[in-house]
Amino acid sequence: MTVTETLRLEHVSFTYAGRPALDDVSFALAAGTRTALIGHNGAGKSTLMRLVTGLLRPAAGTVWVGDWIAGDRRPEELARRVGSLFQHADQQLFARTVHEDVAFGPRAIGVPEPELATRVTRALAALDLEAVADQHPYDLPPPARKLAALAGALALEPALLLLDEPTAGLDRRARARVTQALAERAAAGAALLVITHDLGFATETLDRALVLERGRLVGDAPLADLLTAGVGLAPWGLAAPPLAELSAALRLPGRPLRERDVARALAERCRP
Amino acid sequence: MTSTRLALEHVTYHYPATAAPALADVSLELHGGEVVGVIGSVGAGASTLLLVAAELAPRVLGGTRSGAVRCDGRSALLLPTPWTQVSGMAVSVWDEVAFGPANLGWPRDRISSAVDRALTRVDVAQLRDRDPGTLSGGELQRVILAGILAMEPEVLLLDEPTAELDPAGARFVWDLLRALARAGTAVLVATSDLDALPGAADRVVWLAGGRVRAAGAARVVLGDAALWSDDGPGSTSAAGAWRLAGLPTPLPLTVADVLARLP
Repeated sequence: MTVTETLRLEHVSFTYAGRPALDDVSFALAAGTRTALIGHNGAGKSTLMRLVTGLLRPAAGTVWVGDWIAGDRRPEELARRVGSLFQHADQQLFARTVHEDVAFGPRAIGVPEPELATRVTRALAALDLEAVADQHPYDLPPPARKLAALAGALALEPALLLLDEPTAGLDRRARARVTQALAERAAAGAALLVITHDLGFATETLDRALVLERGRLVGDAPLADLLTAGVGLAPWGLAAPPLAELSAALRLPGRPLRERDVARALAERCRP
Repeated sequence: MTSTRLALEHVTYHYPATAAPALADVSLELHGGEVVGVIGSVGAGASTLLLVAAELAPRVLGGTRSGAVRCDGRSALLLPTPWTQVSGMAVSVWDEVAFGPANLGWPRDRISSAVDRALTRVDVAQLRDRDPGTLSGGELQRVILAGILAMEPEVLLLDEPTAELDPAGARFVWDLLRALARAGTAVLVATSDLDALPGAADRVVWLAGGRVRAAGAARVVLGDAALWSDDGPGSTSAAGAWRLAGLPTPLPLTVADVLARLP
């Protein structure tokens, strides 16, 4: 393997008590790349996440995180390279304040002061959480708790960010913040792997799509191709987001997908 | 006019040990047969509104409430975090869904038929023998919804019912809510899936800072340009692109609206 690959799965399989959850999955992510992991509920996405974070070991195959084999490392060791946001982010928060919670991860992996303080401040600012930094995480509404957990993952400044439904329940402004924060981490070299059903968010934030179906990797393509090529998305539980639909229905030139590009094309179309 | 199932009258609610109210002077009526969407930025009070409507706040959560909450019929609330709503006492999905009806003290055969009907209705009958602890997030969200429907509530309160679902699953749930309303259920649903609302909701209530900023027919409220102000949640994707393009109001809400507006 080459060192520029942040994550590589080689023929990975996993079974829960006889029920196969992942079946011979292989792919690789390079540094700085932004990938969506999509598919039906129950397709194996969260299982894959647990394998990469060391919470499960593959029944067969190998998960490489850089030059580490994930199955040989403890989760707390893997946290040096993988920042994760679990679907049930509630269960990921335990400190008395949001600030403390965000600081916990980087402190645990040995980030020294004043670097630690800088990272925490940066992560809180990136997600617009400064105003609630001193609040108890459980005094926040669930979507804001998820943002707090995401800030904790960002503050690790890891090589790989592995996020499960980061935008569930978030409003438009918070979504835009997440998009911006992830773009910044990717520009700094982090590979992004984001489990999401929110294809609107995925379109704004990511550029490659891996599709899991019943534990098998059935698609690996540029996200834009998936949304414009008329590939039947429905069998995978997916639907083109409204702007992709709009772009296709109006035959906008270049079939733009992101809001800014669709708006520009709309303005162009309506120019007298 | 169908009957009023739920009424909030000048409700103000404070969580324990907080100075600012989470809800301030909120009044609304919910009738049998309608789907009402509650929208707002994170922290605007939508989740709190549902907790108050379900009388979990202040009864269970503490805090103080003024004003009145009247509910005519049985209400049930779907929480936004389905993993916190599992009974933890069921070894199968079927038992999990039966938990609510069993607590209502129904006879055995009524429980049984209500559970089977709810599993089919939410399209999770194939999961009936699974251990709830092994379900994916989206599967669990549907199972919890089945458990709520099995109690045959007249007032259905839902907080982000599609947050864990894939787009096909989300569309299924929106269609289900419409079907329940057609059958007479009153549905109040807080959601950030604003693109679903023009098709799914009859009316929309916009909360900002715990207060009702606007309420009315779904298409009217969602087309309000003020939704794009600093304390607003925005509106549909089509409206967002239209607005960003600097095109004239009223904002179109759906792809079909845009097509109708363009030459």
